Amino acid sequence: MSIQGRPLPVADEQSAPFWEAAAEHVLVLACCGQCKAWSLPPEAVCTRCGSIDAGFEFAPVSGAGFVRSWTVVRQSFLPGFDEDLPFVLVDVELADQPEVRLIGRLLDGVESQPELDEPVELAWEDLAPEVSVPAFRLVR
Amino acid sequence: MTSRFRAGGQVAVVGYAHSDIVRHADRPLGSLAVDTAREAIADAGLEVGDIDGFVGSAMIPTAGSHRIEDGIGTVTPNWLARHLGVDPRYAAGFTGLGQIPGTVAMAVNAVASGAADYLVLHRALHNPPGQYHVSTMDRFEGSQQWTAPQGFFGPLAMIALPTNEYLQRYGASRETLAATVVEARKNGARIPWSFWHDRPLPADEYLNSPTLFDPICRYDCDIPVDGVAVFVLTSAERAVDLPNKPVYVAGYGMGAPTRSRLPLHWPLEDIMEGGRAMARRLWAHAGMGPSDVDLPQVYDGFSIFPWLWLEVLGYCEEGEAHRLVSSGGIDSDRADAIPALSGGGALGNGRMHGVPQMLECYLQLSGRAGDRQRRVDAALACHSSPHFGGAVAYTSEPV
Repeated sequence: MSIQGRPLPVADEQSAPFWEAAAEHVLVLACCGQCKAWSLPPEAVCTRCGSIDAGFEFAPVSGAGFVRSWTVVRQSFLPGFDEDLPFVLVDVELADQPEVRLIGRLLDGVESQPELDEPVELAWEDLAPEVSVPAFRLVR
Repeated sequence: MTSRFRAGGQVAVVGYAHSDIVRHADRPLGSLAVDTAREAIADAGLEVGDIDGFVGSAMIPTAGSHRIEDGIGTVTPNWLARHLGVDPRYAAGFTGLGQIPGTVAMAVNAVASGAADYLVLHRALHNPPGQYHVSTMDRFEGSQQWTAPQGFFGPLAMIALPTNEYLQRYGASRETLAATVVEARKNGARIPWSFWHDRPLPADEYLNSPTLFDPICRYDCDIPVDGVAVFVLTSAERAVDLPNKPVYVAGYGMGAPTRSRLPLHWPLEDIMEGGRAMARRLWAHAGMGPSDVDLPQVYDGFSIFPWLWLEVLGYCEEGEAHRLVSSGGIDSDRADAIPALSGGGALGNGRMHGVPQMLECYLQLSGRAGDRQRRVDAALACHSSPHFGGAVAYTSEPV
């Protein structure tokens, strides 16, 4: 179990670089070696250029983006979240590439509900030693 | 390229049976499925030994930590064939979303091609003991590693995001979500086998219910149930010798999302983009358009879906369905409205997936709807999200 009792991600061959960088509070995405498109989660075939030999490499992105939607979670259906309820989850379109989305908690608190398309910046939640997951804060 | 379905009008639904829909059946799902299948086969004027084809979907839509066994928590086509004592020429399962149009498409293709002559299509839904969507997992691997550690988990979170985006973007309200659920429950209350039989939902009860994932409350989501529905299909040629008036399949269209997404991440724009493409395929395949359909039965597993289906099918402009609903435009008791949820849907029957939509099309087109009978020549049964699911067009005469 983690420090907060929240479920942890299990890194695999494709995702290990993402979680290793996340532990250092750096957001990295898989980048196609052919067309430079970002993908999340990492893909076997590039979704933009179709390359099957894309030579994906993970590289840092800003993690800044825009709120495309959000919800206030009042019952989580998962262990470890009870003390945080209610909380805001945001669906963020990353500024680094339209269409790439990341979902995380908005750490501003439940009183700070966002507007559609409102800008956010990356934040991190430390769940356990060497395990951090992406989150967001409003840029206001 | 999309074009008219060559087998349109060549395959018919000729009989059905539906179990009572209950929270927890007093016997294993497989027992209920065999019973319901025998009843449907008899309803079609056939013997069990006549059946040579089986299609179905074994998918059970729970995110919770449950063990699902064939014959207990789900029923596969092969399990059903074996327990009816049939060695089928064709038995196949559908593994995608949009299980009802997906299995109808398989059934029609099998009968039209001669892979099967008399085919049983079934859907058996199960409500496992314990909390439906609750997970006790403390680690997530695979696709859920990207979402669950942040707290994005389960179908209510999934549907909350596009629902809230719609409300914010188009100025829609929870009062109109309530009106949608109230309409489904009004119609479901008139269905004898429905879980909600004789239990319409007062709008106040909806509006006083606490939200779980804003703006979603428990009533925005269909209730998990145990229930089995079985349909019998055969060729149009064979159908005319059977006792019930045949209902013909004109064509179908299935969704196919084009974007890679995180699990359970269904952005509104994906639903609408994939849905519009699905609708184009559907209308070309079925050789008809929205104005040809008297009875478009839209899917309503979540309360936002009827709005999105009405929009992608072309019954109103994008962002306008909430106005159509709030002005009584889908009231099944109004002669000038679109009877989009007249069969009660999933919200008004229980989580039977797209069965209520398909059954309402069948009952109305075959003249078997009893007190609820309408004058209908063409009907449409939708299921799932427009971008993943699909729809089947049915007619009272082969076209």
